[in-house]
Formats: sequence, C-alpha cells, structure tokens
Amino acid sequence: MTLSTAPLVTRRAALRSGSAATLAAARRMGPLLVAGCAVAPSTRAIPIGLLHSQTGPMAISSTPVRDAQIHALEEINATGGLLGRPVEFTAPDSRSRPNLFANRARRLLEQGAVALFGCWTAESRAAVIPLVEEFQRLLFYAVPYEGGEASRFVVCGGQIPNQQVRPVLDWLQSAAGGLRRRVFVVGVDDRSGRLVAHLVRRWLAGRPLQPAGQMLLPLSLRDFRDTIAAIRDSGADCVISTLAGNTNVGFFAALAEAGLEPSRLPVVSTTIGEDELRNLRPDQVEGHYAVSAYFQSDSGSANAEWVEDFRREFGFDRVTSDTMETGYSLVHLWADAVRRAGSVATAAVIQALRDGRGYDGPGGRLVMDPATQHCAKPCRIGRIRADRQFTLVHESPGPIPPDPFPSVAYPGWSCDWTKGGLVRGAEVKLDGDL
Amino acid sequence: MFYWIYDIPSPSLAVGMIALFVGIYWVGALIVRPVLRQFVKSTAACNDVVGYVLSCFCVFYGLLLGLIAVTAYQNFSQAEANVTHEAAALAALYEDVGQYPAPHGQNLRWLLRDYTRYVIRYAWPLQRKGIVPVEGTIRAQAFEEQLLSFQPQTPAEEILHAEALRQFNTFLEARRMRLFTVTASIPAVMWYVVILGALITIAMVWLFDMKFITHLMLGGMLSAYLGTMIFLIAAMDNPFRGEVSIPPAVFETIFEHMVEE
Repeated sequence: MTLSTAPLVTRRAALRSGSAATLAAARRMGPLLVAGCAVAPSTRAIPIGLLHSQTGPMAISSTPVRDAQIHALEEINATGGLLGRPVEFTAPDSRSRPNLFANRARRLLEQGAVALFGCWTAESRAAVIPLVEEFQRLLFYAVPYEGGEASRFVVCGGQIPNQQVRPVLDWLQSAAGGLRRRVFVVGVDDRSGRLVAHLVRRWLAGRPLQPAGQMLLPLSLRDFRDTIAAIRDSGADCVISTLAGNTNVGFFAALAEAGLEPSRLPVVSTTIGEDELRNLRPDQVEGHYAVSAYFQSDSGSANAEWVEDFRREFGFDRVTSDTMETGYSLVHLWADAVRRAGSVATAAVIQALRDGRGYDGPGGRLVMDPATQHCAKPCRIGRIRADRQFTLVHESPGPIPPDPFPSVAYPGWSCDWTKGGLVRGAEVKLDGDL
Repeated sequence: MFYWIYDIPSPSLAVGMIALFVGIYWVGALIVRPVLRQFVKSTAACNDVVGYVLSCFCVFYGLLLGLIAVTAYQNFSQAEANVTHEAAALAALYEDVGQYPAPHGQNLRWLLRDYTRYVIRYAWPLQRKGIVPVEGTIRAQAFEEQLLSFQPQTPAEEILHAEALRQFNTFLEARRMRLFTVTASIPAVMWYVVILGALITIAMVWLFDMKFITHLMLGGMLSAYLGTMIFLIAAMDNPFRGEVSIPPAVFETIFEHMVEE
C-alpha cells in the first residue's frame, strides 16, 4: 500500500468549486442586497403637516392640539398606517405669527404634504387658506370660530355660533337655565367678539331673554372693575363671555371681588376649557359655565378610554379639551376618508368625506357637512367644578348642523360645495354698541 | 460612507465582513497568487523576505488599526457621556421646575415631558439614520420661552429660578453636544487607509510559498481576524447608527418617571 502524494485540494479544483459556490451565493443573495438599497414605492410614507404655534402667545393653546394630533397619528401608524404606508408628520413652529404660518405652510406643501392640520387665529387661517387653494390640498381646522369661512379646501371641525351661542341663549331662558331675562355680552374687540355680540342681539329679537348690554375689550386689558360695574348697572342676570386668553383671569377675579356669585350672575364662557381652567382660581370660577362640544368629564367609555390612552402617553396630569378632541378626531376623519377613497388625492378624499360616514370620536360622531365642509357638533354646557373639571348641565338632543352664514349676519349668503360653492349676498355689516 | 452597513444586524454584519475578507483572500489565492508569485519565485528564501516585510508592515498597520479602534471607542464613549449628561440635566431641571407655582410649574413640566417624549420617539430614530433632529430645538425653545416668562415674587422663588436657569444652560450645552456627535465619525480618508492596509496585508500573505491548503487555512484565519477588527471599528464608529449604538434608555427611564408622577 502506498500513500498518495497528491494535494488534498488542488488550485484547479478549488477554482472550479469556488466559482460554482460564488454563482450560487450571488443568485440567492443578490435580491437581498439590492432590496436594501431602495425603498419599495408602496412603503413610502404619506407626508402631512401639523401647523401649530409651539412658541409665542398662542403656544399654550396650540401645543395640546398638536399633541392630540400626534397621538392620533401614532395610533394610525401603530395599526399599519394608511393604504399600507406609514403617515409621517412634520410639525414646524409657526411662532404665533401669521406670516410664519404662510411660510411654514408653503414649505410643507412644497415638500409634498398631502394635508395640513392646524392654525388657530383668524389671521393664521387667512394666511394659510390661499396656499392650500393654490396647491389644492386640504386644511383641517379644529378650533371653534365665528363662522363665515368658505373654501373648498378647508374642513372646519370646531363649533360655530349657531352650534354654540344660540343653544346657550335657548338654555338661559329655559327653566333649567334659570329663566334668565337680561343677558350682557362681554368679549374681545375683534371680528369674532363683534360677530357674536351682533348675533346675540339678532337672535334675541322677540324673545323673553333680552340684551342688557355689551362690552368689547382689548385683549391686553387686565383691570375689569369698570366692566363689572357696567354689567351690574345694566341689570343683567346672566353674561355670555367670549373673552379669551389671560383676560379671563382678570375678569373672573374682578367678578369675585365684586361679590357677584354665579347663582346671581352666571357667566357662560365660549372659550374656557379644561386647559384654560388651570390658569384660573377655582374659588373664582366655580359655579360659572362653559359651552363646548366636549368635556373631559363626559361619561362614555370611548372618552374614558381616550383620556386614559392620552394620559398614558403624555402624562397622568394632562387634561383633554374640546379643541384637542376635535383635532384628534379630524386626523382620524381624514384617515378614514383616505382608506375609503383608496388614495390621498384631495378630490378623492373630499368625495369620501362627503359620504356622511364620519368618525366616532371620544366626544361623539364627527361628520362633515358636504355643503359647508363644517362639522355637525353637539352643544354641551358644563358647570365649572372646584377640581377644574365640568359637570354637564345641558346637552343638545343631537349634533347641530353647521350654519357658517346665519342669515341674521349674512343676509342672502349661502354655501354649498356640492352645488358650486359660496353665493355672496349683501355686504356684512355688524351692529355697533347696543 | 457605506452607511447602509448599519441597516444590517450586527451578527450578520460581522459574519459578512469576515466572509468578505476571507473570500478576498481565497479568491486571490486562486487567481492572483500565481501571478504575484512570479515576482518572488526566483528569490532565495523568499518566505523570509516576505516575512520580514510583512512584520514591518504589520507593525504600522497594527498601530493604525489600534489607534482607530481607540478613537472610535472614545467617540462612542463621549457620545454616551453626552447623552447621560443631558438626561441628568433634564431630570434635575424637571425637579426644579416642579417647585414653581401652578400653573407655571405644571406647564414647564409638560414641556419637558414633551421634549423627552420627542427625543425617545422621533429624535432617536432620526439619529440612527444620521439625521440631526430639528424639532427638539422647537421644544427646547418653547420651554425656554415659558421659563423666562416667569417672574419670581419671593426671594425663595428668585433662588429657585436662578438655579433652574443654570440647570437649563447645562441641559442646553449637553443637548448641543449630543447633536454634534450625531454625525461624528472616523474621516473617510482613514477608512481608505485601513482598507488599503488590509488589502496589502492580504496580498503579502499571497506571496508566501506554501501548500495551497495551508494558504487557505492560515491566510483565511488572518483575513478573518482582519475582517473582525474592521467590523469592530465600523460598529463603534457613528455612535448613534446601527445595532451597536447608544440607546435612548436613560431618557426612557426619566420619561417613565415623568409620566407616572
């Protein structure tokens, strides 16, 4: 027996088997390597923009809405996104400046945002609407406002006066509201304040409840002693307030100092929510009222679950408010419409929004009215408690259809986006002081 | 460069790197070695000559690899220290502003909580892609604006406010340092030198006069270790990228505390 002197592995044999192995590996691994270099079109994110003031005077109001909308988007992404794609948001800071709203909105739209969610003041809204019309994308606006907005590319989710102020007037003169007979309107001297005062006067014509007076004040006012004296002198037995921001602090302090108890002179505020109550002393506001479409204390498992989820994400001392709930629901309303439309294209989404299915939010069903592109909202009146929450004292039987152009303020005006859009009537002239 | 390697899981990357270097060595042993051997075949005791040159080369190359590995580790450690420092300052600031009167203190705490949440949920994934997150700056500015709007009414509040401002500056500094390290990495030119050195080392081993199977074994082992070293440096480089990266764990711990409080 002889031992073989041939090498175990020859260069030729290794070359042959090596080539075969390389080819086999390339065939198996090639697609994997190439797949890592590109993103399949179906997994590209859907870009949207959250347009809120995160610094400046409006930040304290806007930031909670941004948080609620981020919460909604995280929920959507956690369940697989939309049309198999994640939704990616960009939230630049508009710094409470209308010109920056326009700047940020343009940048978002140029970067491909398919929808914008945000704006707060009338000025910020006015700055952004021409841009969404130019780019033909949608703006979802969550804030209660004075009405009168009409754009094919804007969906308004907040209450407007016919869903907020008018039911309050009905309630005040009812037995549940204390059979009030004289109402004083106090508000900020801006378009919203003037319009509400005008509407109150017109809506009260021929009714048992009569206007006792009105005062429209600068937003910077801190001393309200003259205002309280005017209310007392007017003989009013109730007040409707559209005062906003820090003016509420001075107003309620002066009211308490004057000894005007809520049982004697209840104030119904259109602007106070859970967030605003954190800045007000409970002993000064307890017993007064606020009107809203949503209160954190609303009973209902959907609301309890939402509040719990939100707090788990953002902190157990956080509160939820009407604007937050609307902002949150608007994101889901848009997402559901995208799912039904099978597209993020504006025309398809508007068409899906018009089908009347709506979204069951924490505060109830949010449905867009196809004619006005505003939402039907319930009216709830809550009594302020010492724990900075509300006890519900009145609720409308169902959602109230929106009327952004009430004839008492907009004679001859109408809006129907399913039939040509806005028809302008006579020039709107608001009443002067009563 | 080659940032896509950070998308590959670390074990796969390590195996791939080793396989690449061993593969280069083996393929070269099959194809290139016979050509290279022509240059040294006629030289007497060629293995001794190649051995001397390789030893000399490996001293320089080893030093370079060692220094780069240390630099990568230092970058990583520094970035980790910045993150810990920022989180510690954030936690201290959260405690400080909690003493402010309501609702100021609550607003400030909410803003810090919002910042922390953003860092964990959104900034970290961006950092993992080598993108410097920008929206954290907005949140820090929102906090600063709210903090500066506070007017102390008592001497105790004045002391508290001064301490909060000092802590806020510490936090801002650490935050800025973290953002600087998001894109910190070994310069590309160093990587070119490392890769060139690895290829020269491999090429020198091809010059040895050995049995083919011995070549595959010894050269394969050397190449495997070269691949491991280069994997280690690559994994440690770019401290926020890939699996071997700094996690947001310290921020998560703080956030849990903030939310539950």
